[in-house]
Amino acid sequence: MLEARNLRKSFGELVATDDITLEFGKEDGELVFIVGPNGAGKTTFINLLTGFLSPDEGSIVLDGDDITGMSANGRVDAGIARSFQVVKVFEEMTVRENLRTVVLTEQGKTWSLFSMADGHEEVEAQVEELLEKFRLEDAADTVAEELPHGDRKLLDVAMSFGLDPDYLLLDEPTSGVSTREKEYVIETIVEVGRAEGVTTVTIEHDMDIVTEYADRVVALHQGTVHGVGPPTMLETDDELRRLLLGVGDDE
Amino acid sequence: MPERVDRDGTPAYRFLGVEVTRREAAFLVLGVVVLFIVPDLTTVSDSLQLSVIHQGLLFGFAAVGLNLLLRHTKLTSFGHAAFFGTGAYATAVLARYAGVQSVGLLLLGAIAAATVMAAIIGVLSLRHTGLYFALLTLAFGQLLYAIALGQSALGGSDGLPIRPGPANQPLLFGTAFSPDVYQVLTYYLTVVVILIGLFVMYRITQSPFRNALDAIGQERTRARFIGLPVRRYVWAAFVISGIYGGVAGGLFAVVRQYVRPEGTLFFLRSGDILFMAILGGFRTLVGPLIGGVVLVFLQDVGQDVTQYYEFLTGAVLLILVYGFPRGIVGSLRSGGIVNTRLNELRREPSVLSTWGRTAVQSLERKVTEALTSLRIILFGVD
Repeated sequence: MLEARNLRKSFGELVATDDITLEFGKEDGELVFIVGPNGAGKTTFINLLTGFLSPDEGSIVLDGDDITGMSANGRVDAGIARSFQVVKVFEEMTVRENLRTVVLTEQGKTWSLFSMADGHEEVEAQVEELLEKFRLEDAADTVAEELPHGDRKLLDVAMSFGLDPDYLLLDEPTSGVSTREKEYVIETIVEVGRAEGVTTVTIEHDMDIVTEYADRVVALHQGTVHGVGPPTMLETDDELRRLLLGVGDDE
Repeated sequence: MPERVDRDGTPAYRFLGVEVTRREAAFLVLGVVVLFIVPDLTTVSDSLQLSVIHQGLLFGFAAVGLNLLLRHTKLTSFGHAAFFGTGAYATAVLARYAGVQSVGLLLLGAIAAATVMAAIIGVLSLRHTGLYFALLTLAFGQLLYAIALGQSALGGSDGLPIRPGPANQPLLFGTAFSPDVYQVLTYYLTVVVILIGLFVMYRITQSPFRNALDAIGQERTRARFIGLPVRRYVWAAFVISGIYGGVAGGLFAVVRQYVRPEGTLFFLRSGDILFMAILGGFRTLVGPLIGGVVLVFLQDVGQDVTQYYEFLTGAVLLILVYGFPRGIVGSLRSGGIVNTRLNELRREPSVLSTWGRTAVQSLERKVTEALTSLRIILFGVD
């Protein structure tokens, strides 16, 4: 179980997350979606969990161990992987090389100076598997920077899955993806996540997607937890609807 | 990965993990043959001097090491002469003060010293990237230069001669040789070391370690978030590249039998090493080596022709950056700009006039742009 305990982070005057306490993965493979208006502290929260930022106060606990001071790469080894809102892949590598690099790292083979990068059979097998799961076979030998946007997003997510995580934190995996491709991207994520029992925490703005796929919804507002509940919360909580959709009197 | 094949479809050969197509194999054999017959070539023409080519190869070898950083981690070190100098001075000090005579031991000493130096400088400068990293490496290089200048034990600006044995030169295979023979023998020693060094570097650039370095160079943040302890990897690459510099410096001292701060540690030598990598093509394995020979040769010839020989190398650098950013080897190999253009020309000779027109047009455009900028600077309006 991955827990955030009283997390607080401010940037100067701005309090980005204010005393957030949440837990994920009580049940293996749950799909949690984080919703909230711009500036609610969603990305900051994920940055804190993954070690991209360190909190001013509070702690992060993984299966009972305090990992607040652990390095970002240490957390990856401990089973927490993430993706970024803006795609961050290795642009000059092909799709296959990107995935190979990830899997080589995950299997601790990157200190090998004299073996062939493409000569590790277990690694190659896993790369092929990832290509297939994320339906990237046709693009396997395309250089990442030449991929269409939807495929880039998929590659980004595939790389995170390639780390064989227990927890996967996805920062808007569908942002900038066309409506038609959106469904496809999120479906792939859900499908693979469910199949491998990965607890995924996804920031998402598209409420249709949240309603359709979420096991649990976390709503953030101005750095605090507005509410946690089933996706029906989006329908029943008027205050939340007003915050998210801007429907209501004072906006 | 698609199987690498020759133009006519012959699959690539594999030997000790080195994969070459027939065409590449031909170039490889040719290159090795040329390296081995250089001492003969230099007797044919006066403009070719063995010592010049030898020096070019040694600095080029240091550039091959630097290239590991440049090509994969995308870090630009402006202080690589530090390791060349460390290797050279370690050799000189061992020979002079410890009485070491064997070339083999001297080189091992150079490697050890360069490793330690690179490890220290690496830890201190790799906290930063980009400009600050470059400046730190430059600063550490100059620090070593200042130490070498200031220490009388290191000979100050006069430098340190290497004269341990009764025959006034280090021993190869336990034997002293006459100066002429010594020069040729050390050249062959250099060739052997270079071939081994290139082989090792080739294997490194095919290994998972290279993937890690590439990942760090291309997207540092993501590299951290796939679980790579970034700084440790960059540090390892830095040390490896420093060792190449140290070996080159050690050989340099053995060959010259004299070490001066100007020739080994000065920051312009760092600039030379960086220039060599870019000149030869830093996206290639052997480019920096060829860049080394070409640059030292240019400097040598330039010095004979004009006292403004720096102008010559400056002009070459400009032409390179604007016209052939992939360097000599990068431009010449299949798919490079030279081959592409030659093929166009062979197919349709009239492209020459198109090229001429494009050249004139782009020149006109640049001049207009420059004039506009000038007008804005002078009068504040366009």
